[in-house]
Amino acid sequence: MSLREHILIVDLSSGRMRREEISPEFLGTYLGGRGLGVRLLRGRHTLSPFDPSMPVVFAVGPLCGTPAPTSARISVVSRSPLTGTVYDCSAGGRFAWRLRAAGLLAILVEGRSARPVVLAVTSAGEELLPASDLWAKGVGDTVRALSDRGSVAAIGPAGENGVLFSSIMMGEGNAVGRGGLGAVLGMKNLKAVTVDGDRVMPVADRERFDRARADVLRLFRASPVIFGELGISEYGTPALVDLMRQRRMAPTENFRRTVFVGAGAYSGPTIRAAYGAKKEGCYGCPIRCKKRASDGRPLPEYETVSHFGALNAIADLHSIVRSNDACNDLGMDTITAAATLSAWGEARGRFPSPEEIGTLLHDIAHRRGEGILLSEGSRRVAEALGMPGVSMSVKSLELPAYDPRGAYGMALAYVTSNRGGCHLRAYPISHEILRKPVASDRFSFSGKARMIKIAEDTNAAVDSLVACKFAFFGASIEEYAELLSAVTGEDHTPQGLKEIGERVYLTERFYNAENGFTRADDDLPARFFSEAGSSGEGIDVPPIDRARFGEELTKYYRIRGLRDDGSFPDGGFLERQP
Amino acid sequence: MRSLIAKFAGKLHRDRSAVQGRVGIAVQDDVMISEGAPDLSRLTVDVLSRLSCLGVVAASPSLPFAEFLLRRANADAEAIVPLDTETRTFLHDIPIVRRAELAGDPAAAIAALLSNRKGVIAEGVGIVASGPVTLEQAYIHYSSVFHACYVKYLLDVLQDGFLLPGEEDAFRDFRKTSLRPLTSEELFFSASHLDDPEEVLAEIRTVGRYTVQRGLVDSFFGNISYRVGETIFISQTAASLDELAGCIDPVPMDNRSTTGITASSELLAHRRIYEATGARAILHGHPKFAVVMSMLCEEKGCPVKDCWKDCPNVRMLGDTPVVAGEIGAGGLAVRVPPVIGAPGKAIVYGHGVFTIGRDGFEEAFRSMVDVESRCREEYFRRLDARAGRQSKSE
Ligand code: SF4
Repeated sequence: MSLREHILIVDLSSGRMRREEISPEFLGTYLGGRGLGVRLLRGRHTLSPFDPSMPVVFAVGPLCGTPAPTSARISVVSRSPLTGTVYDCSAGGRFAWRLRAAGLLAILVEGRSARPVVLAVTSAGEELLPASDLWAKGVGDTVRALSDRGSVAAIGPAGENGVLFSSIMMGEGNAVGRGGLGAVLGMKNLKAVTVDGDRVMPVADRERFDRARADVLRLFRASPVIFGELGISEYGTPALVDLMRQRRMAPTENFRRTVFVGAGAYSGPTIRAAYGAKKEGCYGCPIRCKKRASDGRPLPEYETVSHFGALNAIADLHSIVRSNDACNDLGMDTITAAATLSAWGEARGRFPSPEEIGTLLHDIAHRRGEGILLSEGSRRVAEALGMPGVSMSVKSLELPAYDPRGAYGMALAYVTSNRGGCHLRAYPISHEILRKPVASDRFSFSGKARMIKIAEDTNAAVDSLVACKFAFFGASIEEYAELLSAVTGEDHTPQGLKEIGERVYLTERFYNAENGFTRADDDLPARFFSEAGSSGEGIDVPPIDRARFGEELTKYYRIRGLRDDGSFPDGGFLERQP
Repeated sequence: MRSLIAKFAGKLHRDRSAVQGRVGIAVQDDVMISEGAPDLSRLTVDVLSRLSCLGVVAASPSLPFAEFLLRRANADAEAIVPLDTETRTFLHDIPIVRRAELAGDPAAAIAALLSNRKGVIAEGVGIVASGPVTLEQAYIHYSSVFHACYVKYLLDVLQDGFLLPGEEDAFRDFRKTSLRPLTSEELFFSASHLDDPEEVLAEIRTVGRYTVQRGLVDSFFGNISYRVGETIFISQTAASLDELAGCIDPVPMDNRSTTGITASSELLAHRRIYEATGARAILHGHPKFAVVMSMLCEEKGCPVKDCWKDCPNVRMLGDTPVVAGEIGAGGLAVRVPPVIGAPGKAIVYGHGVFTIGRDGFEEAFRSMVDVESRCREEYFRRLDARAGRQSKSE
């Protein structure tokens, strides 16, 4: 890349900070975001997530700060204390844009501060501020206290107390969620990072850029999922509630059923009517899928409403919104929190009531009472209770609100995801359910191994750019390669980006393998192979055929160049990578 | 996989977009599978092995228009740029690769271009298209390139006449033998108002099939809906009109539910048309001559640049209004409903035709046949007039 890019390296143990130039060649092979973060972990990827030397990387991408649609996102990369896998998560808001405007493509934080601190970054420089008075405060109060310092990424009590699914929360309400990176910051005694910058990002070829941007916007307008009158721009991701109900794949009562009769209580139209939902978006994003209540608080996403709803058999919208508020303020992942409560509910024979949930969430974040066990996530809860089968997770990461019995690509994608049971890696929901860019047969494994592999590579590139997955319900990597070419002044092709994505994906898998992950970890909970979903209305939802699933997984490994047991054919993979 | 290859090879023949026996298709699962004409099938394997992609289709188009466009393009042109809406939105432009560039390693040259675009025109080979997610996608991309070339070539010929040796003869042959008479005769439509959802779904499936069978539209270019009370039954986004079983969404008029998030991107246009006209059925497709004729505007000195989306005028093609408007959330839903009521039909600039049925699909289908037939006649009238002018001036 033509632009000189910089990384800030912060050693919290010594308090030393330095800005370094990132080599252009390095960026050419990893782009930024997830790819750059994963590369920077090399050599320390086998450290324990809570080892002070384990880095946490905040990295934006080369399109951030330009008017490229949906590209002002940040990836945070480290090793997850929940899953033990390499871990990255992308978040929107304003933080990424302000970080880039402060002259940085990335921040790498290592070490452990003796006392709580805040890292404050501006274009002029960076400093570590004492933060003992912020410790134990909720995310809301923390963000308010730091609001004159630009954008804030903060942890709440959950992160401070080492909850294994604690999030890093962006001040605007977006979360670096799922894998517990909040606890990694908590262990480092880093309460928050603030960024404020004023630099404008150059675009090498403005005319080419404008053309590519217009192409992207045209595709957004042609996509019913994005700008359709029932799409995510109008209703946010809860637009999926009705669809998942209709497709009979909404996880209900800890995945014992796949239809929840009360789902209408938290559908997109119901939320809009109840809370006067207004559109909001990440910086520079035309889609604006985020929704806020008329009183300004962020409204929950699809996975959150579904898991605090159907998964726990709760049809009370206000309870669900309160759960979302609590998780946001405590700094805790909503999917894992709800799924852990649900697994615990199944194990004890009773799901928590709406009245109980608030207290339980606070107990988890503060690790007291039942919360001590629940703060470890569903796998450890289930094992401790002697019922490992009730944890609906892959590699200890709880499955989100897409039942794998209703979409076989999703079933495969859950197990091949390097960060565990996540819907956002291959994201086959896009074609299996939303018909974008084309439809595929959701009840068939045919061709799915190859589709998943290609999508994982593509999305690893997207996460390295760092663009939003939702953009790809309309546009494709073709238009984003063009945006990148226009910004950098160098030619990038979709094929080249997919190759970068493949390198990133395989690097992650290699790290995981070195940490002991094998084919045995690439598996779904047994329930999906033995129990049917909720058939009806002309849709049959049988258990997944285990033999066929295994066959497709083997195909997947072969396509990836791995052995049939999912291992690497040799140990020299990393040395061959730039 | 082999059954998929057979399915799409069959579709390319049935929709008459590829020469019989001149199709090659490759798909890669854990192994590569290919079928078809040996040279094309080999080419698709070689191209696909260089791409991160699920399938590739290569075929000789049934009409030589793509080849002519390539040869008519400037010697230094790297792509042709059709201006119909489909191309603007989904293809952007269509790369061309000339015989000389194919001399060394044709698969490498084609793959390099396909790594950037959905379909390419290769001189002497035909159209080669890729499907990153499914094989159907490669078929759709092939059809999109075929459609775009058809429309652009017809426009160019009307504008510039025949420029290459053999072109005029080929065109005469196309006119005489390739164009099927358009008719709705011998088709059966449900006469009465339908209320039973099962009957509605069956009727939509049948009419969707008719549109493709009669050569009005290509398989996936269009959408179709029927209103029963407060529910619109509408085909899903990216659904093929001749394969609508399981691909029709019931959508409430008042947006009470978001199930229709997978409905056609024209849902809003359909809803507004129902509100404005009280119709029961809507048919939308992209018949080629209507698309061509909609792009011929004779306004002089007009300041509008992006006619396809910004033109504020209502033009008339015979008794059919023509308006501008972009797909989806783009203004088509604003401009079509006010003009479609009285004539029962409307054309969108560079895009296609909407027709309505006040009772059912018969009226809508007849209207679409009528619009396309008239556009075809008018096109050839203008072409003949042009030829007349040309021969007089010679
Ligand atoms: S689509 Fe939504 S999540 Fe994605 S960048 Fe835009 S506002 Fe943010």
